[in-house]
Amino acid sequence: MNKATISEIRKQFDKTLEEVHDAAALEALKYRYLGRKGKIADLFSRIRDLSSESRKEAGELLNRLKADLSAAIDARTAAFSAPREQRSYIDYSMPGYAMHRGSRHPLTQAVDDMLNIFQRLGFDIAYGPEVETDWFNFESLNFPPDHPARDMQDTFYTEGGGVLRTHTSPVQTRYMSTHEPPLRIVAPGRVFRNEAISARSYCLFHQIEGLYVDEGITFADLKGTIERFCRLYYGKDVKIKFRGSYFPFTEPSAEIDVSCFLCGGKGCPVCKQSGWLEIMGCGMVDPNVLKAVNYDTERFSGYAFGLGIERMLMMRLGINDIRILFENDVEFLKQF
Amino acid sequence: MIVSIDWLKDYIDIDIPLEELAEKLTVAGAECTLKQSGIRIPDGVLVAKVLDTRPHPNAEKLSVCKVDTGTGEILNIVCGAPNVIAGRLVPVATVGTKLAPDFELKEVRLRGELSQGMICAEDELGLGNDHSGIMLLPDDYEIGRPFADYYPVYPILDVEVTANRPDLMSHWGLVRMISVITGKPFKKVPFCLEEKEKDIREICKISVEAPEGCPRYSARVVKNVRIQPSPAWLRQRLESVGLRPVNNVVDAANYVLMETGHPLHTFDLDKLAGPEIRVRFAVKGEKFETLDHKERTLSEKVLLICDAKNPVALAGLMGGLASEVDDNTRNILIESAYFTPSVIRRASKDQQLSTDASKRFERGTDPNAGLEYARDRLAALIAELTGGEIAKGVIDVYPEPIPAKRARLNLSKVKSITGIELSGTNCRATLEALGFEILNAGDNFLDVGIPTFRPDVEREIDLVEEVAVNHMDKIPTMERMSISIPESFDTFHPFTDKTRQFFTGYGMHEAINNSLVSEAAASAGIWGYPPLKILNPLSLEMNMLRTDMIQPLLGSLRVNALRKRGDIRLFELANVIERDPASETGAREHYNLGVLCSSSLWGLSWTEAERSADFFYMKGILEHFMDLLGFTVKLRENTQNAAFETLYDIMLRKEVIGKIGQYRGDFFEKLQLQHPLVIMELQLGTLYQWYEPRKQHTPPPAYPSIFRDLSLVMDKTVRANTLINEIMQQGGKYLIDCLLYDMYIDEKKLGEDKKALSFRLEFRSEKETLKDSQIDNVMNKLFKQLENQYGARLR
Repeated sequence: MNKATISEIRKQFDKTLEEVHDAAALEALKYRYLGRKGKIADLFSRIRDLSSESRKEAGELLNRLKADLSAAIDARTAAFSAPREQRSYIDYSMPGYAMHRGSRHPLTQAVDDMLNIFQRLGFDIAYGPEVETDWFNFESLNFPPDHPARDMQDTFYTEGGGVLRTHTSPVQTRYMSTHEPPLRIVAPGRVFRNEAISARSYCLFHQIEGLYVDEGITFADLKGTIERFCRLYYGKDVKIKFRGSYFPFTEPSAEIDVSCFLCGGKGCPVCKQSGWLEIMGCGMVDPNVLKAVNYDTERFSGYAFGLGIERMLMMRLGINDIRILFENDVEFLKQF
Repeated sequence: MIVSIDWLKDYIDIDIPLEELAEKLTVAGAECTLKQSGIRIPDGVLVAKVLDTRPHPNAEKLSVCKVDTGTGEILNIVCGAPNVIAGRLVPVATVGTKLAPDFELKEVRLRGELSQGMICAEDELGLGNDHSGIMLLPDDYEIGRPFADYYPVYPILDVEVTANRPDLMSHWGLVRMISVITGKPFKKVPFCLEEKEKDIREICKISVEAPEGCPRYSARVVKNVRIQPSPAWLRQRLESVGLRPVNNVVDAANYVLMETGHPLHTFDLDKLAGPEIRVRFAVKGEKFETLDHKERTLSEKVLLICDAKNPVALAGLMGGLASEVDDNTRNILIESAYFTPSVIRRASKDQQLSTDASKRFERGTDPNAGLEYARDRLAALIAELTGGEIAKGVIDVYPEPIPAKRARLNLSKVKSITGIELSGTNCRATLEALGFEILNAGDNFLDVGIPTFRPDVEREIDLVEEVAVNHMDKIPTMERMSISIPESFDTFHPFTDKTRQFFTGYGMHEAINNSLVSEAAASAGIWGYPPLKILNPLSLEMNMLRTDMIQPLLGSLRVNALRKRGDIRLFELANVIERDPASETGAREHYNLGVLCSSSLWGLSWTEAERSADFFYMKGILEHFMDLLGFTVKLRENTQNAAFETLYDIMLRKEVIGKIGQYRGDFFEKLQLQHPLVIMELQLGTLYQWYEPRKQHTPPPAYPSIFRDLSLVMDKTVRANTLINEIMQQGGKYLIDCLLYDMYIDEKKLGEDKKALSFRLEFRSEKETLKDSQIDNVMNKLFKQLENQYGARLR
C-alpha cells in the first residue's frame, strides 16, 4: 500500500459520489467505504503487513482519507436528509414589493442634460420672468418698434403692458443690466408664441439661452464652444454646419445644423431627407444690445445662442404630436 | 420666395452644380432648397389615340379600347371612364410606368379582358383633382410623344428670406450672392425705352400730401395698350416661380417685381378722375373697396393713393377695384413709389392685410436706382407686350432724396469679431459683388458706400457680417479657449433639482402644464390671486395665466381619469402669476410646486392589501420634504373652500407658504376616481429664499434610548396634536420624541364617543444610560396630567 493506491481509491470515491442522487445510494456508498467491512477498514487491516517505518506514514494517510470521505458523505447526507416538507419554504420567484416609481418629465431631463454640459463648460445658470416688458423682450434686443422682425415671433400681450416672453433672450439684457462683464450664463425657461396649437406647434415651449461677454470674444470662440457642446450632447461623430441667418440681437448671426442622429446624414423622414437637423441659432451679440445695457462696445464683445428643446426631443423620442408633452398622461410620463 | 434657375441665368453665368449652389447660398444666409417647378409626369406616360371602344362584355361600367401609342403596336386597354371617345387623344400610362413609388403598372386581365395600360384621369397624374373622367387632349398633340414634354419642369430655388433682407425677395438679390460665390459678374438685361410725343405732365398730375408716408412717388404713362394674354415665355416664367398669369400688363408688372424686387402698381388711367394722383392719409372711418372685393373701413394710419375724387389704392398694400386694369383698358399709369416702411407696417396691421407688396415695403425697398429701373423697365416691357406707346418723361415727386449711407470697415474688426484673417482685397471683392461701393480703400480700412437696396446695413458691424456670412467656412473653430469663470454659481437650480429628486423618489411623475388657462380656472386659483389677462388669446380656453398649480393639474387629472388611469401621482414646478399693476411687467410671478395624487399607496401586490393614498399620505410627504429642507411648518385649518373635505394652510414664519387638502368625494364624481384626491401646493420660491443648507451636524446619540408605550382612552374630540404637544411639554428633559402609532375605535369596548390612541415615547440622555427608575416618575406624572386635563384613562 502506498500513496498511489490511496489516491486511486480517493478518485474512485469522488467519481462514485458524483453519481449519487438519493439518500439510499449514499448510504450504500458509505457502507462500501466506511463500513466495518468497507474499503477503509480493509486498508487499515493491511497496515500490519507493512514495515514499521512505513506503518506510521500509511496510518496518517489512511486517517486523513477516512476523515475526508466522512466529511464528503456527511455533507451529502445533510443535503438529502432534510425532508422537503419540513424546511421553511419561500418561493423567491414571487414578484418584489410593488412600490411606485416616479419620473422626471422628459423635457426637464433634456434641459438638465444640456445644462449639465454647459455648466461643465463654465456657464452659470440665470433666470428671467415669463411675463416681460416690451423693452426687455424686444427693444433692448434691437427689435425696433414697427419692424418686421417682430413678426418672426407671434406675441401674446398681457393687460398692464407686458408680453409673454417669446424667447429666453431677454434674460441676456436682464442679466447684463445687473452684472458687469465678464459673464458666462445659460438661461433655461418657458417661452410663449401666439400660434395655433397643432401636432407640430404649441403655444408654449422651452428654450435654453446662452451668453458670454468678455474682452476679445470672437465667432471662433462661439464655434468652438458650440461644436464641443454638440459633440458632447449628440455624440463625437456628429457633423456640424454653421450657416448665415438673421436675428436682430446678433450680428453676424448663424443657424446651426447637426447631422441627423437617426440616419447619420443619409436622409430619412425625421430630417426630411436633408440629412441635417436645425438645432439652434447663434451669433455675436449686436453692439446695439451691449449699448442698451451701457456696456463699452469697444472693449467688450460676446456671443449668444439659443436652442429649442421640444423639437429636438420630439425627433429623439419619435414623437409626432407635440401635445403629448403637455397632457401629462401618466402612461407617457412613467416611461422616462 | 421662389426663384427660377433659368431666369437667374439671364443675369449671371452659373457653371457650378445646382446642388452645390443651393448649399453655398444656404451657408451664406439664403436658406434654399433646390426643387423642380411644375408637375413631374412619370416616364412611360405617352400621348395616344383611342382608335375604337366597345362595351366590356362582363362589366356594365367598363369599356374595352384599342389604343395607338405610336409604337406600332395597338394596345388593348380596359377603361372605366364615361368619357372615353374613339378618335380622341388621351394620356396613356404604359406597362411598367411607376404611377406612385409603390405602384408599377402591370399587364392584367380585368373581368376576362386584357388590359395593357391605363388611360389616365387628371388626378392620376397629379395634375388636378378631377376624377370624373379621363383627360382628353388637344388634337395637335403628337401621338407617341412622352406626355411629360407638354409639362416641362424647371429647376427652382425655394428661398427662406429672413426679415431683414428685402433685397433677397428678387432674382437680382440672389444673383449678387451667386456672384460672390462664383466670382462671375452680374449683368443687367438692357432694354430700350422709346418715348413718344406728348409729355406725361400734359396727361396727368401727381401730388404727395403725405411725404412722411411717401418720400417718393414716380410715374410713367403708357398709352394705347392692348390687353391680351401674355406670350408663352412670360407665362412660363411666372408659373415657374408660382405666380398665376393674368394679362400682359399685370404679368409685366409681376415680372419686373420678381426681377428687381420693387413692387409696382398699374392703374387704368382712364378710370382715374382728373386724371390725377394724390397721396394722403385716410380719414378715420373712410370706406374703400379693395381688389379682394372687401369693403374696408380705414383709419388715419392708412396711406391712400387717390384720384381727383376718390381713393384708388391702399398705398403699398393693395389696389382698388374701381381703377383695376381690365380687358378694355387702353391707357396705363405705372406707379413706382417708395413708402416709409413703418407706415406700411402700421397700415398692414391696422387693416390686417399682409400682401406680397406690403411685405416688401415694410422691409424697405430701394428708393433710388431700383425704383427708377423698375419703373422704366416696366414701361418698356408693357410697350413691347401691348404695342403701347410710352409718354414722354416721368413725373417724379421726390422732394428730399434719400442719400446712400456710408460706413468705414476697419479690417481689424473683421478679425476681432469673426476670427477670420481676410485681406483687404478679399473683403473688397465680396462687398463689391454684393453691390456695395468702395469709396476709399486705406491700408487697414475700407470706406464703403451702402446701396439703398440694403436698408439692413448701416454700421461697421453690418459690414463685418456681410463679409463673414460669405466666408463662413473660413471661421476657425477654437479648440483651446481661455474663459472667464463666474465668481459665484447659481443655487436655485440645485434647489429645484433636489425638489424634483425628492418627489420622484416618492413615486411622483413630473408634469408640465400650459401656463395659459381659462378664466374659470384662473379664478378658481387656490391663492385667490387676481388673474392676468391675455389681450390677444388663442381661445377663451387660454385667455388668462394660471394663478395656481392645482387648477392645471386638475386638467391633467381629467386627462388621466378619462383614460382610466388608476394611479395618478403628479407634481409640477412652475410660475403662477398674479396681476400686479405696480410691477413693470404688470405681473408678479411665484415659483410654486404643485402636487396632486389620486392613487394607491403601492401597486397591487401579494405582499400588502391595496390601500389608497389619502390626506395623511400627502401630510407625510410634506413632513418629510420639510425635514429635508430643515423647516418646521404648522398647519392651520382653512374652511373657506367648499370643494375640500379638508384643507389646511401650511404656515412657516407666520406666513402661508402652502396649502394641503383633500377634495370632497363628490367633487369629481364624474371622473370616477378610484382613490381620494389630495393636493398640495408650496411656494417653492419663498422656501428657496429661506432655505439654508445644514451647516452643523448633530452627533449621533452616544447612549441608548428607552421606549415607553402609552395607550390612552379619551373622548373622540380630543385632538391628537394637542396631546402630542402636551406630552412633549410635560415629558421632562429626557423625552426626545413622541410618536402616535395607533388609533383604535370600538364603541362596545371603549364606550361611545371614545377613542384609544397609542404613543411611543422615546427618552434619552446625552450623558448617561437612563435607568427605568428615572423614567417611571415622569410617566406617572405625565399620565396624571393627561387624566386631569383630558379625562384620559389607561387602556
